[in-house]
Amino acid sequence: MSPKAKVQGRKSRTRAPSTEHRAPSSKSFDFVKEKAGIREFCFRDNGLKVLLLGNRVAPVVTFAVVYHVGSRNEAVGHTGATHLLEHLMFKGTPEYNREKGTAIAAVLEALGARFNATTWFDRTNYYETLPSGKLDVAMRIEASRMRGSLLRDDDRQPEMTVVRNEFERGENSPFQVLYKHTFATAFREHPYHHPTIGWRSDIEGVSTERLKEFYDVFYHPNNATAMVIGDFEEEESLAKLERHFGSIPRSPRPIPAVHTVEPPQEGERRFTVRRAGQVAWCGLAWRTVQALHPDTHALALLGNILGGGLTSRLYQKLVETSLALSVTVVPWQLRDPALLSIFAPVRPGIEPAAVESVIREETARVAREGVTEAEAEKARTQIEAEVIFDRDSTDQVAASLSEAIASADWEWYADYPKAIRRVTAEDVRRVAAKYLTDDGLTAGVFLPKTEQAEAAVPGPGPEDREGRGGATE
Amino acid sequence: MRAGARARPSTGSRVPFAEAVRRRELANGAQLFVLENHFNPTLAVSGSLHAGPLFAPPGRRLIASVTAGELPKGTESRTKIQIAEDLESRGASLSFSSDSSDPLGMDIAGAALSRDADLLLDRLVEILRTPVFPAEELEKEKKRLVGSIRQQLDQPGVRAYEAAARRVYPPGHPFHRRTGEERIASVEKLVREDLVAFYRERYGAGTLQVVLVGDVDANGILDGLEKRLASWSAGAASTISPVPVPPASPGRETVVMPDKASADVVLLEPSTLTRPEPAYLACTLANSALGQSSLTSRLGVRVRDTEGLTYGIHSSFHATHVPGPFVVSVTVKPESRDAAVASTLDEIARFLATGLTPKELEEEKSSRMGKFQVDLASNGGIAQALDAAVYYGLGLEYLDRFPSLVESITKEEADAEFRQRVHPDRFTIVSAGSF
Repeated sequence: MSPKAKVQGRKSRTRAPSTEHRAPSSKSFDFVKEKAGIREFCFRDNGLKVLLLGNRVAPVVTFAVVYHVGSRNEAVGHTGATHLLEHLMFKGTPEYNREKGTAIAAVLEALGARFNATTWFDRTNYYETLPSGKLDVAMRIEASRMRGSLLRDDDRQPEMTVVRNEFERGENSPFQVLYKHTFATAFREHPYHHPTIGWRSDIEGVSTERLKEFYDVFYHPNNATAMVIGDFEEEESLAKLERHFGSIPRSPRPIPAVHTVEPPQEGERRFTVRRAGQVAWCGLAWRTVQALHPDTHALALLGNILGGGLTSRLYQKLVETSLALSVTVVPWQLRDPALLSIFAPVRPGIEPAAVESVIREETARVAREGVTEAEAEKARTQIEAEVIFDRDSTDQVAASLSEAIASADWEWYADYPKAIRRVTAEDVRRVAAKYLTDDGLTAGVFLPKTEQAEAAVPGPGPEDREGRGGATE
Repeated sequence: MRAGARARPSTGSRVPFAEAVRRRELANGAQLFVLENHFNPTLAVSGSLHAGPLFAPPGRRLIASVTAGELPKGTESRTKIQIAEDLESRGASLSFSSDSSDPLGMDIAGAALSRDADLLLDRLVEILRTPVFPAEELEKEKKRLVGSIRQQLDQPGVRAYEAAARRVYPPGHPFHRRTGEERIASVEKLVREDLVAFYRERYGAGTLQVVLVGDVDANGILDGLEKRLASWSAGAASTISPVPVPPASPGRETVVMPDKASADVVLLEPSTLTRPEPAYLACTLANSALGQSSLTSRLGVRVRDTEGLTYGIHSSFHATHVPGPFVVSVTVKPESRDAAVASTLDEIARFLATGLTPKELEEEKSSRMGKFQVDLASNGGIAQALDAAVYYGLGLEYLDRFPSLVESITKEEADAEFRQRVHPDRFTIVSAGSF
């Protein structure tokens, strides 16, 4: 129910656990292809894509539906609409609603399911991990809300304030403030400019009618991918999918494409946020490429070498030297060209400029001198191990696969480990030199204001006042 | 969930955990548990040792967490960088932590590809047995900790909880929370000898337990651990002295923090509930109906879903070996605080008056059993569950008996146990934010 809380590094997987290779057979689904244990089917009539991945570590299954709509599909006036709509998707359908005692969340909670939905730049996903005998319930719910969501104005009003509180919670976090400003500064024309949760006034102002329009444009089987991961029987699952999703027609009109392209950045951009706080933050980001670009994998290795663990270059240069409290490097992998970002909370008493300077020196050094083969090999191994660890749990596989199909496609995901293995140390130097340039840089700082709020008003009711601001306690 | 079997789990009958887990207790007291799961070439480690803040001097509790965190900063054989390089270059991880949420234990967590099992065990035991606590590493950590405390001071949720705990639990109590400035002063006073002394006093095999789950040969792992641990001394005894539960301190406080778009409210009462006692299941089942989920529990349905006052509202018992508080937390737009608090108190009063409905009882039972199954779906999940069952003295059999234990809870039992421990008129209510 939240815009994805943390930024993601890309993960993918290697092993194919299934040894089954039975002939694809279904009345309504076409078998498309298989790779790394993942089997793709497509529903002939309505275009719903289905991915199946057996993982029988436990009698548990994850069902997920990914819609190819995210904040990337929004414009000013209805930023945050995708996310607000995702919240309303829990409010009911003719079959599942609170009045009948069958609210979606209540039905799933009673099964002990781990469930939620998240909205991100390129996609919205709905997922349930539950005992495998209950797979049918998850499918029925997702089929019911694919076209049957009630989307009532009476529900939007209280849910808008719920989402607004979610927005407000994000505004409390210097990291989130910095990352929102970084994207808003680095992207001026492309919709990655605005955050997935939206601008406050758009959250408050968007109408139920506008949300319904959004739903009617994007929520169709031919704009979705359903995934079944875990302990299931293939033919039985396809039959269930056919029963629940088979009668839903494809969209009456083509799904609109996003055509806005961010032009090249022609010079460094800077911003400063001053707000009450305790710790300054420093953020640097460079414009890079889309997930499907061939340089993606070299950028992933670069990210690990700069910020992956205690032995990484920036941890050694920033945290070990007590300049920063931590450092996070993210090579963003999205549908359209994105960023490589580096964020660091600055140790109190240190100038943020000193942290920025170290980051720029180190990135320049990589661009100039390259990385060692040992560093490259460590990064390859770390990424490959992450892939294998993912296979431990069905919901982790579902999460990684969701991101992959949103920003690229599932074969990209299946091929990811091999592509990572092919990246050379020279590739890492080359992408650092190509993308981490001064002209492509967006640099920002969050500076804590030192003065306290004036004339704070005490809350009503009997109270003992406890202090006024962080520094006085 | 699939205990030691290679066959399909959903159709075959599962071997009970009590039978499938291989265990060994060493003469020095160390307890070792291994469960084979050959689905994926990985392994997960979960473990603990009685070296939590309860055993550090009152007023200097953070010695326990810093000692745990500094363990991998260097051993008699390897530097911090060498240890990190060995693990990171294989995609493996090991962590040692202790915090105020569990006064008793120091937690161990690890993960590796199964081909690296030896490496992981080797470093795990080396770090536990031969840490050297380099002084220069502690100085770096102190600087980082001061910054980290400053970051916490900026979080309304932390500020509200700490103020409530400070009011309820007296100084010296393991659930007392000092102010940020007090904690910073305490960090600055730390010297290497504090860690060395605490390590000498508390670390030993006597209270160590290690659970490993994954694609391994159980006997090989047990032999490997025994070989590495057998000569470690037992160390301190594991006696746990009772910790008194203070009287409630009802009242309201506000912590004013500038520029916070969202405020946090904490409603807290000292509770007598501990994790090992049988009433734990009944109390948490009732709490689940009241406030475990922002989406489906009564508090969530009322304050979030119906009234739109919050994104998140949650209630829980902080029960470990030591009885901790019952806490309700809610985030709000500052202007909505009073409405949210009034609705929260009203909903809790209603729940206490009527107790669980029959439908809630059934749904919560079914939910608990489903979650149990879902949580045991990974090596890490299984390792944590086994570790907790042993840690709290419930035994491995607890996991096998869990479904019948849940099934046997009655409405009368759940209502009575919950009512005995939750009293809104005793709540300390603290808000933190821009009021």
